[in-house]
Amino acid sequence: MTPDDMFKIANGIALAGWLALLASPFASVWSERIAAAIIPLLLSVAYTGLVLAFWSGAQGGFDSLANVELLFQTREVVLAGWLHYLAFDLFVGAWEVRTARREGISFLLVLPCLLLTFLFGPVGFLLFNALRLVRRLSPSSVPA
Amino acid sequence: MNTLSMPMRRPLALPQSVMRSFQAEPRFAGMALLLLLAMVPTLFAMLVDPRLFNGINVWDKPLKFELALAVYLATLAWFSVYLPRNLIESNRYRLYSWVVVTAIALEIVWVSGSAANGAASHFNVEGIMGAIYALMGVLAVTLTSASLVQGVVFWRDSKSGLNPQVRLSLALGLVLTFVLTIIVAGYMSSSQGHWVGGNNSDVESFPLTGWARDGGDLRVAHFFATHALHFIPLVGLVASRTLKPAGAAASVWGASLAYCAFVGFAFVQALSGRPFAAF
Repeated sequence: MTPDDMFKIANGIALAGWLALLASPFASVWSERIAAAIIPLLLSVAYTGLVLAFWSGAQGGFDSLANVELLFQTREVVLAGWLHYLAFDLFVGAWEVRTARREGISFLLVLPCLLLTFLFGPVGFLLFNALRLVRRLSPSSVPA
Repeated sequence: MNTLSMPMRRPLALPQSVMRSFQAEPRFAGMALLLLLAMVPTLFAMLVDPRLFNGINVWDKPLKFELALAVYLATLAWFSVYLPRNLIESNRYRLYSWVVVTAIALEIVWVSGSAANGAASHFNVEGIMGAIYALMGVLAVTLTSASLVQGVVFWRDSKSGLNPQVRLSLALGLVLTFVLTIIVAGYMSSSQGHWVGGNNSDVESFPLTGWARDGGDLRVAHFFATHALHFIPLVGLVASRTLKPAGAAASVWGASLAYCAFVGFAFVQALSGRPFAAF
């Protein structure tokens, strides 16, 4: 299997995880299992395998931006980096859904956060936490 | 965090007002706070982005919109404390206030998205941006209508516990914000741009507001039109504490008329291509 094939498959799997999050108001238990455990773990297995197989052969390292760039000249390492994004962004998305449910935040408000987390991870994480801060300041919100 | 046991009649003490604003209008107050928080990453973008638009940093405008709309919403949330409970807690008002908050969110997404792409947001009539600009006009009227709605409610709410002259000033200030803004901003948005004459650049403009110094700038009248909801209630508050009721009411009406004349002056001044002030 080429890195390009693996890339396509991983994207499809991650997308399934995001769809599961969208379905969380109807199936919260399975949505949580899929998006917070099964899919991130699956992607982590692939990541670990890629790092074991290709890390030693790649040039570069974590110590400078130039070295990180060098690291990403190995296609399999770029793929591993991408899987890292997919797994952790989805995990954060699942955390947002879970936290919102616990704190009584409407799913409608979580939707824009999920969209941003899916596209630009930290932006969605930031928006979700800004929403939580706003709600905590609001005396009319009583967390369940 | 739940300080529901606060005394009921202690208006205008700021921290308590903030808490009560959140209680009365959690959507407006919450969105105001979100906009202030959004200024932090916007400022960071400004620091790292060297691109210019009309001679100034592309992020200058989103930053100003975030601040301006936060002030607008915070003011409306604060005024909501004095609106009738049965109205503000009704489902239709809640729905309306969600519509207003959504319009503001979309407005910010549009202004920031345009900045990110280095494109004009307002006065952009080309292609898809032109269609979006027209839609944004609808959203801008929607968000401004919140002041009209509150103004009319204050005007009608004769059972309100508010001082009558303060209530009059709130009603007039809010309604004038809507009427004057719609006239000035409506005219401005159908023009080619907000500059009249001058070199059409934001360089060497007024600090903070960015008004042109070398020609007319319709943004001056827009600014004062929209701030009627601050100025006139301030007059009402001061007059109600220093004058007898009749004198206070006359002051509020007089101040409203004078304010309209002042906005009209700023509007005509810009239309004739003269800067707001020479300094």
